[in-house]
Amino acid sequence: MSRINKNVILALLTLTSSAFLLFQLYYYKHYLSAKNGIGLSKSKGSRIGFDSTQWRAVKKFIMLTSSQNVPVFLIDPLILELISKNFEQIKNTSHGSTSECKFFCVPREFTAFALQYHLWKNEEGWFRIAENMGFQCLKIESKDPRLDGIDSLSGTEIPLHYICRLATHAIHLVVFHERSGNYLWHGHLRLKGHIDKKFFPFRKLQFGRYPGAFDRPELQQVTIDGLEVRIPKDPVHFLEEIPHSRFIECRYKEARAFLQQYLDDNTVEAMVFRKSAKELLQLAAKTLKKLGVRFWLSSGTCLGWYRQCNIIPYSKDVDLGIFIQDYKSDIIIAFQDAGLPLKHKFGKVEDSLELSFQGKDDVKLDIFFFYEETDHMWNGGTQAKSGKKFKYLFPKFTLCWTEFVDMKVNVPCETIEYIEANYGKTWKIPIKIWDWKNSPPNVQSNGIWPISEWDEVIQLY
Amino acid sequence: MDDWKPSPLIKPFGARKKRSWYLTWKYKLTNQRTLRRFCQTGAVLFLLVTVIVNIKLILDTRRAISEASEDLEPEQDYDDTLGRLEPPRRRGSGPRRVLDVEVYSSRSKVYVAVDGTTVLEDEAREQGRGIHVIVLNQATGHVMAKRVFDTYSPHEDEAMVLFLNMVAPGRVLICTVKDEGSFHLKDTAKALLRSLGSQAGPALGWRDTWVFVGRKGGPVLGEKHSKSPALSSWGDPVLLKTDVPLSSAEEAECHWADTEMNRRRRRFCSKVEGYGSVCSCKDPTPIEFSPDLLPDNKVLNVPVAVIAGNRPNYLYRMLRSLLSAQGVSPQMITVFIDGYYEEPMDVVALFGLRGIQHTPISIKNARVSQHYKASLTATFNLFPEAKFAVVLEEDLDIAVDFFSFLSQSIHLLEEDDSLYCISAWNDQGYEHTAEDPALLYRVETMPGLGWVLRKSLYKEELEPKWPTPEKLWDWDMWMRMPEQRRGRECIIPDVSRSYHFGIVGLNMNGYFHEAYFKKHKFNTVPGVQLRNVDSLKKDAYEVEIHRLLSEAEVLDHSKNPCEDSFLPDTEGHTYVAFIRMEKEDDFTTWTQLAKCLHIWDLDVRGNHRGLWRLFRKKNHFLVVGVPASPYSVKKPPSVTPIFLEPPPKEEGAPGAAEQI
Repeated sequence: MSRINKNVILALLTLTSSAFLLFQLYYYKHYLSAKNGIGLSKSKGSRIGFDSTQWRAVKKFIMLTSSQNVPVFLIDPLILELISKNFEQIKNTSHGSTSECKFFCVPREFTAFALQYHLWKNEEGWFRIAENMGFQCLKIESKDPRLDGIDSLSGTEIPLHYICRLATHAIHLVVFHERSGNYLWHGHLRLKGHIDKKFFPFRKLQFGRYPGAFDRPELQQVTIDGLEVRIPKDPVHFLEEIPHSRFIECRYKEARAFLQQYLDDNTVEAMVFRKSAKELLQLAAKTLKKLGVRFWLSSGTCLGWYRQCNIIPYSKDVDLGIFIQDYKSDIIIAFQDAGLPLKHKFGKVEDSLELSFQGKDDVKLDIFFFYEETDHMWNGGTQAKSGKKFKYLFPKFTLCWTEFVDMKVNVPCETIEYIEANYGKTWKIPIKIWDWKNSPPNVQSNGIWPISEWDEVIQLY
Repeated sequence: MDDWKPSPLIKPFGARKKRSWYLTWKYKLTNQRTLRRFCQTGAVLFLLVTVIVNIKLILDTRRAISEASEDLEPEQDYDDTLGRLEPPRRRGSGPRRVLDVEVYSSRSKVYVAVDGTTVLEDEAREQGRGIHVIVLNQATGHVMAKRVFDTYSPHEDEAMVLFLNMVAPGRVLICTVKDEGSFHLKDTAKALLRSLGSQAGPALGWRDTWVFVGRKGGPVLGEKHSKSPALSSWGDPVLLKTDVPLSSAEEAECHWADTEMNRRRRRFCSKVEGYGSVCSCKDPTPIEFSPDLLPDNKVLNVPVAVIAGNRPNYLYRMLRSLLSAQGVSPQMITVFIDGYYEEPMDVVALFGLRGIQHTPISIKNARVSQHYKASLTATFNLFPEAKFAVVLEEDLDIAVDFFSFLSQSIHLLEEDDSLYCISAWNDQGYEHTAEDPALLYRVETMPGLGWVLRKSLYKEELEPKWPTPEKLWDWDMWMRMPEQRRGRECIIPDVSRSYHFGIVGLNMNGYFHEAYFKKHKFNTVPGVQLRNVDSLKKDAYEVEIHRLLSEAEVLDHSKNPCEDSFLPDTEGHTYVAFIRMEKEDDFTTWTQLAKCLHIWDLDVRGNHRGLWRLFRKKNHFLVVGVPASPYSVKKPPSVTPIFLEPPPKEEGAPGAAEQI
């Protein structure tokens, strides 16, 4: 009897579970297609091409922007990558003769565009027209970071992101703002309380996780999948910028508090030094950019940025850091050509390299090369008269963009760790006397250069 | 759901020997052990699949939920109450509310309270004299305007009439007198008060106290009056408590077409009052102007900074003229308001412009100076590509060809290092001393009042050493100092492209304005082609001046230069006069001459190397200071330079004004 029951139970269970499974399969499919339309577009997109939801959404969006003169360009990494791979083909395809939808029909949940805000003339009515065309739009605004650096200004909020949904496809419109230092900035996609969190799976967006900074791209008009869009003239360069685009703002509020406590030095000498240091930094940045060498603000210059958003007037030099793997042998010649003669060279590429260039008005440019170990970074120092070697240890860091004296420059993203390693917990207190061999808490002595190598590793000019 | 999964999976394998009726039937049908096993494994597999699909579904749903909630996390605390507190709307369908209004008038104190909230209180000594007027929204009770008209002084009653006429019908008006409000209350004003239904207002006497509450174009809601018993004493303090019934919001609002522009208008008109026909229901003044575009506009992308304080009516007038100027680009305009004032911000929003508020730092002149610095820095931050910025103030009218004037001249600022600025204002350009809208000058003084600043000048020279808040300096005086100007000059037009209409200001009063600003010439001709712009460059200008002096007729130096007959009654001639000027900074004779010519004489303005250029009776009139000016060489030896004795007694600014 018990056997019968077991079998009956088994049969009954199979029956119920099959019914259940059917229901689930139905529901699952429904759920998927409602979520991103894959179920629908996959089958149609490959066969018919130009009928997919995303192509239609992009087309409508481009119609909208061209009729309303909204200055947008395509920044979607996936599509730009496809474009850069098939660039010859795109150039050869004349307008309208596209046979197959290759780019905008790849199943996606969204397509990213950038908006050049400073060229935008008719902001006001745009939203309404978009909604009349069937888009459901979400606008994310915030205060203007360009006013942060100035005492006590508060202005109208600026738009940072628009997300416009048409059926199952969304257009992510990233608003690019002009900043001092000849670059474009976009804001953090930060959801405020009243925004519907379910409007879009915001986590999936490629732009807006952090604020970002980009070189201002030159644009070109191309026809892709029968649609006229503007894209960066050099899509490869733009794509390369994306992973390193994270931007951090200077801590203006804290800087003001610091200056209230310690007062800024406004003497003529301080102003003259700041001016020449700024010019030297600009020249160095220009020279290194031409060579394609990444650098960041290091030591005193980095402290000045972090603590007071300005050059420390008594620091007497400009300090930069470069990863040793980015070292190029023509750096010295390039700086000499730019009017900055080599002042001294310590160490060698394999160990403790440090270059120092003489700028105008007795301002020195120090370049420290950073060596990476498994759990830390370090750069070296050399005392000229004794041949002693020093080592400065830093926790590992990545690079972020920031704005400093009207320039876009890199700083370590993990700035506080970097500064505390170099200056200790008391970095907030200004110290005018600093001994680079003893004062830094992260200094270690590292032996002595063998006398046979002195000619190579200690070069003074 | 979970408990049915594992248990049945194993046991069926043990069941073999005894056959149930069910299995007998099943065996009859198939009679194969293998098939039976096959069915069993199939069923088990099937169950497994169900379980897997199920788990996947659960996981998927969970991920979707967690994604949504993760997005929710960042900056939840950010959702502060930013939205401005809109006054509570009382719909027509709701119960009709009443406002409880209290008004007090006395010699030394006035106050007005609405529903227990004090909306006006003035007991300061020596100020706030005259009639205080408050306008309430008849639907919300919101204070829409607050003014005081010192009708003890002349002309203030005219301003009051102007204001009261602008108030929309239906609004609640509250008036109360502090100290004295009748001395210069003329018949027009009294007639207007009568038309509002006031009994005592038209009969207001010397030092009477008076309060009035009424609806414009409607019934009087309360009035009290106390006569002054004698010339030397005041009327008794009066206190009026009255109920003001509120009307419905629909009645209070106009029915304008639903456009973006009218939405701005509606928001504005429900909050403030006293801007005339902009809030008129029938025929509202436009707030968008779409002036003509300028062909080849060189200043289309030059940012315009409007420096403002709390003078919203001025700002309104200023922005109207600015937005009507040919070639204006509204998205380049930023209005910087010194302080957290709401009404100027409302005016900015009415025109759909960008407004920035500035927390006041320091006091008086230093406050203005800090506001200027913050505004200029912000302008160049907001428009990092700009090489120039146009700086305007809220008390200026802007000429219709303001941008055309700049577009034609801005290249000078780029090409000529010896230039400090381009200004739209000619300090000496009065009705009787300016003539030619196509003519430009180079001057050593910086006039301000509508000017163009070069970014490099600001960023490299001015910003780093801008006066700090503890220095109580005027920013413009500071900019005029030789350390800053360093011998550079400004380009100005003969006929100003801006007009200074402000009467209330930090360094300004009615008397001063009438004497020095009212009769200033202001260009109203559109599209003026400037003449020979490149001759304004450093070296070319010297050539031009020498040419002018060579063809100029020397005036009769024996005549009194203050007499009208000093210049012949001709037209289109060029005349030159030589005055004594011992050193570069000796302006004794010039100041006296300026005084009798009724032009700016408070300090030296408009000179270029000891030369002044102006117009008299439609003739170009040059004045050369001898021997300090290098142009003294043009003086015929026979001519003795004019010397005017300064008046023996030291006279200040008001004295100068009295002469006019």
